[in-house]
Amino acid sequence: MPTPSGEQPQRLGVGSGELPRWEEGADLSIVGRAHPRVEGDAKVTGGAQYASDVRLPGQLYARVLRSPYAHARLTGLDTGRAAALPGVHAVLSSANAPEIAWYEDSLLFDRTLRFVGDEVAAVAAESEEIADDALRLIVDAYEPLPFVLDLDTALAPDAPKLRPSGNLNGEPTVYERGDLAAGLRDADVIVEETYVTQAALHNCLEPHGCTAAWDGDRLTLWSSTQSVFDVRQRVAEALGLPEHHVRVIKQHMGGGFGSKQIAWKQDVIAALLAKESGRPVQLMLDREAENLAVGNRNPTRQRVRLGAKRDGTLTAIAVDAAQQIGAHPVGGEGADVPAIYQNLYRCPNVRTEQRLVFTNTGPAVAFRAPGHVEAAFALEQAMDQLARALDLDPLELRRRNYADQDQAEGKPYTLPEALGRCYDLAADAFGWAGYQKPPAAGPKRRGVGLAAHDWAGGGGSPPGYAWVKWNADGSVDVVTGTQDIGTGARTGLTQVAAEELGLPMDRVALHLGDTANGPYAPVSSGSATQSTIGPAIRAAAADAKRQLFEAASEFLEAPPEAMTIRDGKIHVAGEPEDRATPVGDVTAQIAPTMIQGHGERGPNPEDKSVRTVGAQIVEVEVDTETGEVSVCRVVAAHDCGRIINPTLVDSQVIGGVTQGIGFALFEDRVVDAGTGVVLNANLEDYHVPTAADVPPIRNVHLNLPDREANPTGAKGIGEPPLIPTAPAIANAVYDAIGVRIRELPLSRRRVLDALATREAPR
Amino acid sequence: MFPNRFEYRRPGSLAEAVQILAENPDAKLLAGGHSLLPAMKLRLAAPSTLVDLSQIEGLRGIAANGALTIGALATYNQVHDSAAVRQAAPMLADTCGIVGDPQVRVRGTLGGSLAHADPAADLTAVVLALGGEVTVVGSGGERTIAADDLFVDLLTTSLAPEEIITEIRIPDLAGAKMAYEKHEHPASGYAVVGVAAVLAMGDGGTIRSARLAVTGATAKATRLSSAEAVLAGKTVRTETIAAAAAAAADGLEINGDLYASADYRRHLVGVLTRRALERATG
Repeated sequence: MPTPSGEQPQRLGVGSGELPRWEEGADLSIVGRAHPRVEGDAKVTGGAQYASDVRLPGQLYARVLRSPYAHARLTGLDTGRAAALPGVHAVLSSANAPEIAWYEDSLLFDRTLRFVGDEVAAVAAESEEIADDALRLIVDAYEPLPFVLDLDTALAPDAPKLRPSGNLNGEPTVYERGDLAAGLRDADVIVEETYVTQAALHNCLEPHGCTAAWDGDRLTLWSSTQSVFDVRQRVAEALGLPEHHVRVIKQHMGGGFGSKQIAWKQDVIAALLAKESGRPVQLMLDREAENLAVGNRNPTRQRVRLGAKRDGTLTAIAVDAAQQIGAHPVGGEGADVPAIYQNLYRCPNVRTEQRLVFTNTGPAVAFRAPGHVEAAFALEQAMDQLARALDLDPLELRRRNYADQDQAEGKPYTLPEALGRCYDLAADAFGWAGYQKPPAAGPKRRGVGLAAHDWAGGGGSPPGYAWVKWNADGSVDVVTGTQDIGTGARTGLTQVAAEELGLPMDRVALHLGDTANGPYAPVSSGSATQSTIGPAIRAAAADAKRQLFEAASEFLEAPPEAMTIRDGKIHVAGEPEDRATPVGDVTAQIAPTMIQGHGERGPNPEDKSVRTVGAQIVEVEVDTETGEVSVCRVVAAHDCGRIINPTLVDSQVIGGVTQGIGFALFEDRVVDAGTGVVLNANLEDYHVPTAADVPPIRNVHLNLPDREANPTGAKGIGEPPLIPTAPAIANAVYDAIGVRIRELPLSRRRVLDALATREAPR
Repeated sequence: MFPNRFEYRRPGSLAEAVQILAENPDAKLLAGGHSLLPAMKLRLAAPSTLVDLSQIEGLRGIAANGALTIGALATYNQVHDSAAVRQAAPMLADTCGIVGDPQVRVRGTLGGSLAHADPAADLTAVVLALGGEVTVVGSGGERTIAADDLFVDLLTTSLAPEEIITEIRIPDLAGAKMAYEKHEHPASGYAVVGVAAVLAMGDGGTIRSARLAVTGATAKATRLSSAEAVLAGKTVRTETIAAAAAAAADGLEINGDLYASADYRRHLVGVLTRRALERATG
């Protein structure tokens, strides 16, 4: 960043771009190993602290009163009886809260409510029970307003409007390359279909929430968030505080999946209640509030057109996507549905159009691979249909349209061969080529399906920083401002530090998730934590190691460049192994002088595109009498560059596929058409897959270091495994029963209906 | 998710429990609590008094002497594990092994399930198909209610407010063929539809009489009388089973909800009737 004088600021430490690469086949002793999670003991013994585990002297518990109407104006609010209830210490609403701007055109406590669940008032009391009772004592009155709950009604010409400008969030976004009309004219075969995807709910095991405590004019917030720095910035701004007076802490987290990538109202509400009451306040959302007010995957309707020559060569790809983003622009509500149409296959003529539509439903927000999951369901089924129309193997059709560069950006990929390798690995492991359906027995039918994916994330989101502090006894503290949202980032990042430092894992402590104790790191989204902060940590470790070698040079009477560290000992080139010097001998010698390394994640390559890709193949069994779809097995192959820790990668793939099975077969927020009330904002009616729903999942490791992406060669794997699962299942269902279902979820009723009106295979 | 305030009583005898019920008309009995307590937390139920039956002796025994007698407080797990139940009515033992989840099966009771009469409970249909009856004690003394007369409507039984189920009796069904087939809700595990079938067999493979009952589809566990009529006196053949399945939903008033429409449930009644009969006779 240029300084006002135009000069580059002096940088402390090392930029990751200056490091040598860890090449394929490099002799690494810690990176690449299935090291158990460093926080595993704390988690299984209950010692790990989550936002709801915080207990402070005098702590209060808060609850939020939410709008019972889909669209209404608050006309009356009497909180007198609630405030008078013994044990209640603070009540906040539009009557007494400061007017804090929120959601672009709304307030923290606004008198216009735009969905069932919009915040009306909040209470802090000595127990959750008292707070709950207090909410029941609030007398609220509303003037109901007309509302819209889905894409069709919101886009109708005379639809009730959420905002004076209408129900569209901005103008449609259009991307074009080549000549779509010409591409369709040149096609021998055209597939034209419309696909519908549903609102899925994140259902993080740990709900959103925080604990707020003031010390004078300084605020500490333990928040369940994917970004301690973003929450700090937003809360400081909302409360008019300087950033250094706000400290945000997140140590352990029960999932975020994108829904915690922004600061939500409760972070500020808890702080205001704590200020008002003079006590620490904990505000955790219950499951219902969680499923009403803090995000969902946007429902979409996608009209898809594919054109291809007789040999399968794509001549045209087009999508017209409408996305239901709910009541508020929360930040991150506009999922990137078009991306996969633009890049997954080589095609000269592409047009994508995207419209973001407001409705009186809970706000949409990023959900694990946002947009790509929804788009893959449509595109990958259309490709399957095209393959059958051309009498081509679906995998062969994909190979014939292989994209080896980022066509939207006009840049080569850093790993153009990755997707082809994933195809090979998945097909071989599954036995795709020789697959024979078992003979039909009774009402059960088997089928197999394939889907591929592209993902814009995984490459990292620079900048991001890390520090390494070498202690007198030779152990190391690594400090960074990132967070572990449950993925195991703590472990993967510690492995990178230990590898570069040449220390055993137990000599390295990684500290994260605290704005007061670590340098800036970006939000943990876009599958970016390992690929952003890993290189920064490696750079800081290299910086510290260089300084250690310089300090050791005098004692060991050897030049720094002759030194390496292995298993905690400094080796000098040409010296016998048993002459190696423990690192602690050097650090003790120079103590209390402390070696400190500083690392910065340098920029991504400018002339190349870093992306992640993969493919999944599934086998399903369909009960043609009940409509039940069972997934029998899943084989996955994903590019995530170098695998830092195979267990953690497998965990992400298993988790992503599991969420994909839920998205494909079960999950569906149901909104009552007459009122806008969500009918299944709980886990009794809304089915999240459990162990009983999950078949054997085999993750085949590509483990191909992406040397041009960053000096660790590792990329993210958090989001991509969810993308291809639902279309692979839908394609397998078609293979099993010859019926194409273009609306999610593939519920039992929907499968039966489709069977009843069985269309001719196309 | 917190209940209203309530009184908690733990009587040591049935007489005392009946007395408390008589004095508190909106009191509720607490057995396993897995249906009642969630309803109270949602404030769908707000009894003034909870009467905990756990200290009352003699309500957990299981005995077989031709007929089967099961104490009302026997848990699903106890019924499932009972050799006597497995011998006399294997369908009952099996079903108690699939109700709810392990936590429910440790605490939940057979008597509690029948008294609660959840429209999607498994055991209501099973006991109905088995031709069971319950013994109840109230201020007027003891009486017996046949399962056929016990279930009145949604969550409603013919029990008087101060009556307590003390035991469940299953008649001697030696030689009968039986099976329960269930299509469960993927999230809750409740029966979207469940069909229990019991066939009393005569000579030469003929069906002397059939008792079939459905749960999940209707407001209360209900006999499938059309299917029973098709089966009575017939020999077990694929065509007979198909005809019974086709007739199974006749005359039923079937409910729909956000998971499954009435049409879908009607379809499942036929499918599950056939599957239950196939498994019972297979």
